[in-house]
Amino acid sequence: MASGSEEGLGFGNGDGDVDVDVDVDPSIAMTTDVELLKRAWRNEKAAPEILQFESSLVQRSKEQIQLMEETVEEYEGNGTDPLTVSLYQMDLDRTQFLLRSYLRIRLLKIEKFATHISKTDSWNRLSEQEQKFTKRCMDDMEKHLTQSVLSRLPYGYQSILKQSISSEEDDMVPEPQLDTFVFCKSKSSLGAIQLDESGEEFEDLVADDLYVLRYKSVKPLIENGQIDIV
Amino acid sequence: MYGRRASQLLKDFSANEPGQISAFDTENFDQVIKECDAHHLELQALMRKIQEEGLDIQTTRNADHYGAVIHHLALIRNKRCLMAYVYNRAEIIQSLRWKVGPVLPQEVQEKVSYSEEEYFKNHSAALESYMSEAELDLTVDMVPPKDPYIKVRVLDDIGDVFLSDQSPNLARHSIHFLRRTDAEQFISQGLMEELPS
Repeated sequence: MASGSEEGLGFGNGDGDVDVDVDVDPSIAMTTDVELLKRAWRNEKAAPEILQFESSLVQRSKEQIQLMEETVEEYEGNGTDPLTVSLYQMDLDRTQFLLRSYLRIRLLKIEKFATHISKTDSWNRLSEQEQKFTKRCMDDMEKHLTQSVLSRLPYGYQSILKQSISSEEDDMVPEPQLDTFVFCKSKSSLGAIQLDESGEEFEDLVADDLYVLRYKSVKPLIENGQIDIV
Repeated sequence: MYGRRASQLLKDFSANEPGQISAFDTENFDQVIKECDAHHLELQALMRKIQEEGLDIQTTRNADHYGAVIHHLALIRNKRCLMAYVYNRAEIIQSLRWKVGPVLPQEVQEKVSYSEEEYFKNHSAALESYMSEAELDLTVDMVPPKDPYIKVRVLDDIGDVFLSDQSPNLARHSIHFLRRTDAEQFISQGLMEELPS
């Protein structure tokens, strides 16, 4: 939206009246993949529902981890200062943790909400492997519940999705709580954001201020990367 | 009172420490299943009675109708309780895959039902096939690494092992300074404990 020409002039933020436009965030252009991964991880960790899978970022991170592993090995082999090696190793460990933890959080959400995810547009946010995992989760859970409970109940009450045959909608599927509150931070001033459906409550989002808002109301902003949850 | 036994089942479950599992309460569980059947019989009997009296089952609102509704609701409530019981136990079983690996410890195995044990195996296999496709072991690195090396005490005789940078003799009660990635597998198996450094 904004031109990049204002960068570097950003010292005079003191006038406090910056609700007009979105500044180009200088950090975006310079962000490394590790930073991006950290952001994806943080958002995923704090969001109640599953977010878009960062497919190319994960791919790049994997490649970089491999590269770093080779570097560390090489340094170990050629007698580089052990301290330097251990610093590289630590960096590597941290990146690996981020990547693993990111994928893990997603799997935990899938374990919890497999059926719900498969029925909604969350499905398209998964990677191919995650979709396979979701299907297996659902099948295994269904088999287990059928064996333990459902097959032993009277006819008409055996559905895994419905409480009984007379329920019109699926009312037995666990769903993520989208009403929950999240801490979030905007990278730039976004102006007034509508907080509820009635359209009466607005909140002015100022750059770098911390807000506690309902996940539902800021969901689109998280999806397009304008704000981060912390 | 209808539904009491089922809610007791859940109360017992939630009395456990979070993440802990107690023995599958087959006795109460089967009793609740029986209650469900009893409700269903009563429900059907009442429906039949309404029909035999020549009344329209959709619109009749007499005592029999409300009786039937109560049996229906009690049945649904029992179903929800049973499902919640099994489902919440299944969630703990899922979490065990992350904590203790692909084999259930003996003391847990004694507490789970046959179906639960099978579920654990299936779910474990699902997770493994995901990890092998992703070419990443996600069960290591469970806590954010602070230092690449940690101090550990060996709790059981492990003997000589080859680790990525050394091959120590892991005798019982000895204290070592190991790479976190090497030590983690032993810690999760309960063979070592991390010492505050």
